[in-house]
Amino acid sequence: MPELLQEYWYLILAALVIGVVVAWWVFHASRRTRVELEDKAADEGGAKRNQALIDSPPVAATREPVPEPTLADAKVAATPDTASVPVAETAPEPAAAPATATEAATAPAASPDDDLRRIKGVGPKLVTMLAEQGITSFAQIAAWDDGEIDRIDAQLGRFQGRIRRDDWVAQARLLAADDITGYEDRFGKV
Amino acid sequence: MPIWMEVFVLMLLAYAIGMGIGWAIWGRAS
Repeated sequence: MPELLQEYWYLILAALVIGVVVAWWVFHASRRTRVELEDKAADEGGAKRNQALIDSPPVAATREPVPEPTLADAKVAATPDTASVPVAETAPEPAAAPATATEAATAPAASPDDDLRRIKGVGPKLVTMLAEQGITSFAQIAAWDDGEIDRIDAQLGRFQGRIRRDDWVAQARLLAADDITGYEDRFGKV
Repeated sequence: MPIWMEVFVLMLLAYAIGMGIGWAIWGRAS
């Protein structure tokens, strides 16, 4: 046996290399191909969903119940602090706490939850993903800059690239301004 | 056993080991 190995080591090595290559193909390369196929299927599904949305009237009733940082939440978070702090130190605290609370509350409160699915290219799944990022209104999307788009885009998994492809920012800007005529001129029927 | 068969069996073994290595690297993750 050792003589055989010594004599035919190159054949054995070749077989080993072939084994590794085949395993790489089976476990790694072909898997990548499958993901691409799934991606395509998802895209088609998304397109169908959106077509259905385009044809239907805006659905105001099916808004996502998004946990928004309300004033009450902020107060709840702030109260244990003020309660535990000695009386002398409470003076600056309440001044700071309401300020941050109102900051947190005004952003969503100024523009209550919009039906983000009105943006073409956004379906129910994306609405949920955006809600997880705290994005629930057109105004928030309209305010995105390039850095913000890149940051959100990185969180969108298989939907990456949709933001720029479908120009969500321009769509959201028009929808936030309620400029339906402008929107329809540029993107088609709402 | 003829010598070519011994070599063939050894090559098969080496192939299996290669597959095992590949599986350990790329197949186990998911």
